[in-house]
Amino acid sequence: MSGLSLVNLTKFYGSVQTLKGIDLALDEGEFLVLLGPSGCGKSTILNIIAGLLEPTSGDIRIGGRSVLGVHPKDRDIAMVFQSYALYPNLTVARNIGFGLEMRGIPKTQRAAAVASVAETLQISALLDRRPAALSGGQRQRVAIGRALVRNPAVFLFDEPLSNLDAKLRMETRTEIKRLHQSLGKTMVYVTHDQIEAMTLATRIAVLNGGQLEQLGTPEEVYRRPASLFVANFIGSPGMNLLHGRIDAGKFVTTGGEASIFLPPGYTHLAQGRSVVLGIRPEEVALASSNDPSALVARVDVVELTGPEKLTLLRLGADQVMASLPPTAAVQAGQDLSITLDEAGVVLFDPATEMRIAPAR
Amino acid sequence: MERRSLLASVLIYAAALALAVLLLLPILWLFVMSISPAADLTAKPLRWWPETVDLSRYRMLLTWEPNSMGQAFLAALRNSLTVAGLAVGAALVVAVPAAWAVSRNPRLEWSLYALILTYMLPPVALAVPLYLGLARFGLLNSTVGLGIIYLSMLAPFTAWLLKSGFDAIPRDIEASAKLDGARLDQILRILILPLAAPTLATAALFALLLAWDEFFYALLFTSDQRAKTITVAIADVAGGRVADYGQIAAAGVLAALPPLLIGLVMQRAIVAGLTSGGVKG
Ligand SMILES: Nc1ncnc2c1ncn2[C@@H]1O[C@H](COP(=O)(O)OP(=O)(O)OP(=O)(O)O)[C@@H](O)[C@H]1O
Ligand SMILES: [Mg+2]
Repeated sequence: MSGLSLVNLTKFYGSVQTLKGIDLALDEGEFLVLLGPSGCGKSTILNIIAGLLEPTSGDIRIGGRSVLGVHPKDRDIAMVFQSYALYPNLTVARNIGFGLEMRGIPKTQRAAAVASVAETLQISALLDRRPAALSGGQRQRVAIGRALVRNPAVFLFDEPLSNLDAKLRMETRTEIKRLHQSLGKTMVYVTHDQIEAMTLATRIAVLNGGQLEQLGTPEEVYRRPASLFVANFIGSPGMNLLHGRIDAGKFVTTGGEASIFLPPGYTHLAQGRSVVLGIRPEEVALASSNDPSALVARVDVVELTGPEKLTLLRLGADQVMASLPPTAAVQAGQDLSITLDEAGVVLFDPATEMRIAPAR
Repeated sequence: MERRSLLASVLIYAAALALAVLLLLPILWLFVMSISPAADLTAKPLRWWPETVDLSRYRMLLTWEPNSMGQAFLAALRNSLTVAGLAVGAALVVAVPAAWAVSRNPRLEWSLYALILTYMLPPVALAVPLYLGLARFGLLNSTVGLGIIYLSMLAPFTAWLLKSGFDAIPRDIEASAKLDGARLDQILRILILPLAAPTLATAALFALLLAWDEFFYALLFTSDQRAKTITVAIADVAGGRVADYGQIAAAGVLAALPPLLIGLVMQRAIVAGLTSGGVKG
């Protein structure tokens, strides 16, 4: 058992509270992605898990054992730093083997371990070089190799791909996913790249201002965001949010421009209650000419991204982003009939900003 | 590289040459003086290049014959090496941990500023208390005593210099080494000090020059061959009743050689760019 759990973790820097009580529990072999805007405390959490920072209060448990006050080297953790943090004066081989060297593993054994890791990461040819003579992607591999060779219970990654170009980023992402699948180790991965989060995670923790907004599978976080923040933050572009109220079992926008049928779970809501309706851009489609539920919206901006045509529509006081097929004939200024896929509708309470759970 | 016109190139080289001549001329003249016969030095008009090369002054300085000028000079050379070596070595031993601690805990930075305060006092103001202090511990006229005085002079600025060197080493490297299981002494020995080698060499070289050239305290706190340093010895050569300028020049040339040689050797260590490549960007 080498799961990881954080219990009511808080961290103050002086009088500023950076972490406001983080609770989460991971099973062994999970891939947790910490996702959130810059400055929300992702690196702080990672550093606390690693033991490089002490929390102000709370507990960290690895494999059921509290590691509070345990020296970083004794936590059975390896970390890949945002900055790589390679040792510039040592060769690649010694960089990778440094952890083993410090733990007194005999030289021959060490060399064998380094060679095998280097082979996995395809950097065998680089072992005698120094970090300065490597490309960014190669340095990244060395940094990962340094973590791999120690075979720790938990891997920590702090935005490891943020300085790679798009293509290399994708390749390395796949590489990391493959490693996770073959090693089956618990991994915690910090990023603010959504695609990385969605593709790698078994679970995503969305953080905001030092608070855990939602902990869930990528699917849950994407389709059933727990709060307006998550709805808006996840997805690019984020979820469309329409303001309005409940009227006769339907959702009516504030200005009354449109009324939208609600999915079955929401029919119990009180008449007249204010709600925010969320819908993903890809769940907005062009309506067929005889669709009775069609809404009419004015086209504001059209952007062709390649695989889709992002169309910004104006619906009363709110804006709706629709992801339409690239062949859709839409032009700025025109009125467009659209329908919303009611299966994708999520409702939020505007006061608490939390999702309203549908009744079963 | 940008293209320059021929005229611009000529001017640039001419300017560089002029600067070099300006800097090197006094040293060249020192050397010429040291090998010119005494008559040439007082001749009018001045003779720029000696007709015969006279090495007798060097012979006079480089001898261990008892009670000779040479013996005093060589003893002073030895004393200078001892004092400077002791002071520079001790300064580095003291400054490395101090600089590292301050670099890693910015809250301690005030302590380095406090050290700089000691530079605000003119040496004259400290001369009497230092003299009494050395006398109290029986360290007057001793290389160790003078070394301790120099240490107090060198440690603050070496600490400052080293701090800026340590500041340039990313903290993540240490954090990573910690996770890799390195102890503090291993982190310093295997990573930080090698990475700070250029700064370390620069600090050592400057400290050495400062100690080597110091005159005021050396004059006050030493009295004979057991501790007199090279700067005092040169002053002695100049202070005789009949001053032979050529002799002073020869002593000056010899006194400049050790730091020059050490500087040349250290230059290899002062190569920048060793820290590059460990972190991105
Ligand atoms: N040593 C420190 N002293 C004071 N405040 C700090 C310190 N380190 C971090 N903070 C603050 O704590 C907050 C969280 O920082 P953290 O580095 O964890 O953010 P992050 O989520 O990793 O951001 P990014 O995505 O930009 O890396 C930030 O507001 C930051 O300003
Ligand atoms: Mg960060």
